[in-house]
Amino acid sequence: MRNVYVVGIGITSFTRLEYPLAEIAAYPAMMAMKDSGISKIDHLYVANMGAGRINQQTGLASAVIDTLSLTPAGATAIENGPASGASAIIQGFQAVASGMHDVVMVTGAERMREVNNLEATDFVATLTHPLAEYIYGVTLPSLAGMFTRLIMEKHGVTSRHLAMVAVKNHANAMHNFFAHLHQPITIEAILDSPEASTNNPFVAEPLRFFDMCPVSDGGACLILASEDVAKKINRPKIRLAGLGQATDTHAVQERKDPTELLAVRGAAAKAFEMAQIKPSQVNVAELHDAFTILEIVESEEVGFFKKGEGHKALERGDTSLTGKLPINPSGGLKAKGHPVGATGIGQAHEIVTQLRGEAEKRQVKNAKIGFTCNFGGFGNNVCCLVFKRED
Amino acid sequence: MELYGYKCKKCGHLHYPYRMVCKNCCKNEHNEFDPVPLPRKGKLLTFTILHNPPSDYEVVTLGLGIVELDNGIRVTGQLRIPNPKIGMKVRGEIDVVHAAEYDKQYGMVFFKA
Amino acid sequence: MAVDLEKILRPVDTIVPPFEPKYMQLASGDFMVVRQASREEIPDILQYVEPLIHVERDFYDIVAVRVYAELLAYYRYRVQDEYVLVAQIDGELAAIVNGRFVNKDVGMSFHTLALRRGLRVGAHAFAAKMEYHMDIVGQKEVLIVAESPIGFRRWMIEYKLEKRFEIPHELGGCPSWSLTKDLFNNARDTLIVGRRPVPKDMLEKAYAGILKPSDPPKPPPDLMAATRALNDPTGTANMQQRWQNKRRG
Repeated sequence: MRNVYVVGIGITSFTRLEYPLAEIAAYPAMMAMKDSGISKIDHLYVANMGAGRINQQTGLASAVIDTLSLTPAGATAIENGPASGASAIIQGFQAVASGMHDVVMVTGAERMREVNNLEATDFVATLTHPLAEYIYGVTLPSLAGMFTRLIMEKHGVTSRHLAMVAVKNHANAMHNFFAHLHQPITIEAILDSPEASTNNPFVAEPLRFFDMCPVSDGGACLILASEDVAKKINRPKIRLAGLGQATDTHAVQERKDPTELLAVRGAAAKAFEMAQIKPSQVNVAELHDAFTILEIVESEEVGFFKKGEGHKALERGDTSLTGKLPINPSGGLKAKGHPVGATGIGQAHEIVTQLRGEAEKRQVKNAKIGFTCNFGGFGNNVCCLVFKRED
Repeated sequence: MELYGYKCKKCGHLHYPYRMVCKNCCKNEHNEFDPVPLPRKGKLLTFTILHNPPSDYEVVTLGLGIVELDNGIRVTGQLRIPNPKIGMKVRGEIDVVHAAEYDKQYGMVFFKA
Repeated sequence: MAVDLEKILRPVDTIVPPFEPKYMQLASGDFMVVRQASREEIPDILQYVEPLIHVERDFYDIVAVRVYAELLAYYRYRVQDEYVLVAQIDGELAAIVNGRFVNKDVGMSFHTLALRRGLRVGAHAFAAKMEYHMDIVGQKEVLIVAESPIGFRRWMIEYKLEKRFEIPHELGGCPSWSLTKDLFNNARDTLIVGRRPVPKDMLEKAYAGILKPSDPPKPPPDLMAATRALNDPTGTANMQQRWQNKRRG
C-alpha cells in the first residue's frame, strides 16, 4: 500500500448559499486545484446526502465533473449519511494507496437550505430505522435527547457542560472566516438569565436550542495524491496516515449499551492502529458535535479521556484552543456549520490547515498529528481519520 | 393488532426490528423467522420530549422513549405519560402513531403501568 | 381650508396606556431594550426598513414593504390607533413590532420585523407585543396571521391559537387566528419575558436615538466571498451575481 498525501484543499463559507448544488461542490474543487497547482485528476469522489431528495439532482458526481470540465475522468458519488465526507476520503485513499490512481479529488457538498427548516429536519430523520423509529416521529435530535439523558444519569454531565461546549465552539468560530455562526454567546445568557428559556428553549429535552448545530449549505474539497506527485508540489507534506470505519445497529434501541458509541470506539481504534500512534499523541482533533453531547462522549470513546471524564476535561479547559488537546478549533459543527455531506471533508480541511500552520488566529501550536471523527446516522456508521505532518 | 418480534428458525434468537439474517447465528436462510407477538409490559430506559416534531405531527410536543420489554427486547415508542422517569414501569398499546395524508401507521404507544 | 380637510382625513386616536419599557438578556450576553417609538422617530426607522424590501428571501421583502407602509401611515396620521414598539441593542435597531387596537377588546397584530438574526430577537419582541395588548391595555383577544411557515408553526401551533376565520385580517384579508385572554394566561411563562424597570443608562441610550443596525439582513452578496478571498480563477458564480445586481439597478 502506497503512502497518500493531501496536496490541495478548498472550502466555501458554511452558510446559506444560493448556488446550484453542483457549483457548491465544484467551487472548493477549483480552490483545491489552485492550491495545489494540479489541473488534471484521475478520479473524482463527491460526498453528499440530499441531492436526490431535496435538490432534485441525482447522479451528482456526473454533474460536478462536467461543470469542472474534468471529463472524461471517472466520477463517483458517495452517500453515507452525515459520514459521507470521511467515507469519500476513505474511497479516495484506497484508490491512491492501491496504485490504481495517482491523483484523486474528493469533494463534498450540501445545499440543505434549498428547502425550509421543517423539511430539512424531516430529510435528516430519514436516517432512522423506517419501522422501529421513523414512524414514531423520531428525529435525530430526539435520539440525541434520549442519549443525553442516559449520559447525564450515568456520568453526571449537566446542561452546564453542554453549554460550555457550545460557548467554546462559538468562540473558536469567531476566528474562522468560513464558519456559519459568528456569534459569541455566554453561559449566563443561555442558562442562568431569566430570559434563558426564550433564548435557549428545549428542542428535545434535555437538549436545548444552543446544543444543536445549525442547518447549513457548504462544500469542501481535498486532493489526495501519491508520494511522487506530492514531492513536486511546494506545500507542506501532510500524509493521511490512518483511517478506520465501523458500524453498529441501525435502530438505536438495539445498541448493546445505549450509553456507548461502539462504532466510534472501533473506527478510532482502527485508525490509530493503522497510523501506529496512541490517542495521547494527537495534537488537535475535529469531533462531530452535531449535538454538544457528542463532542464530550466522542472524546471519551476515541480514547482521549477515560469514560465518564470527558466533561471533566472540558471543565479543566483541556479542549479549548489553548488547552492540552484542542477539540474543534474551527468551531465544530455547532458553530462552523453542518452541511451534511461536506462536513467530513470540512473537518479534514481544518486539520490540514492546522497541520500546515495556516490557521492564523485559531492555530494550535506545534500541531503535527491531527484526528477527525465523522459520525454517521446516530452512531451506526462512523469514520475516523488520522493526519500527520511529515516535514 | 400486535407488534411482532422475529425468532430465528435455526437458533431461536428473538429480534426486533426485523432483519434478514439472524444476528446471533447468521446461519438461517434469509427471511426464515417465526413472528412472535411482543409482550406489552416493560420498563422505561430513556425518553425525551421533542419540541420540534416532524412536519406531519401537528402537536406541540411529542414524547418518545426507549422501553425494555419484559422479555428483554427494546422498543422505541411514543409516550403518553405526563411526567416520565427513567426506570418507571410502563404498558404498551398499539395505536395510530403517524396519520399521514392517505394512510395511518400503527405502532407502540406507552402509558404508565 | 386645508386645515379643515386635514381634520376630516386624520383619524382621532383613542387614549391607551403607553408601553412601559422593558429589557432582556440575549444569548450573546447583550441586553435588549423594548420600548414604544414615537411618531417623530418613524423617519429614522424607515431608513433602516427600506433596504430590507430588496432582500428576497425569508419573506423579508413582503414583511418589510408592509411594515414600511404601516409605519408611514402612522407617521402621516392616516391610520387609527396604531402603535410601534422598537427593540434596541445598545441603541441599535434590532426589531420592530407593530399593531393596532381595533376596539376596546380586540387588537390586531401587524408585523414583527427582526433586523438581527440568530438571537431570537423576533420571539422576544413578539412576546412584548402580546403583553402590551393583554396586560397593559387589557384587551380580550389579539388577531394574528403569519406570512412565513416557520412563524405559523411557532405561533399558531405552539400557542394553540383559536381560528377566527370569519374575520379577515387587516393585513390582507387572510383568515385570522386569535390569541385569547385564556390562552395568554396559560402561556404566561413563555409569553412574558423581560424585566422592568430598565436600568437608567440603558434606557437613556435607547431613547437617545435609534441607531443603524450593525448586521441587518442584506441581499445575498458574493456568497463565495470566503473562497473568493483566496483568489478566484473563474468567477462564474460572481458573474451571475453581477448580472443579477445589474438588472436590479
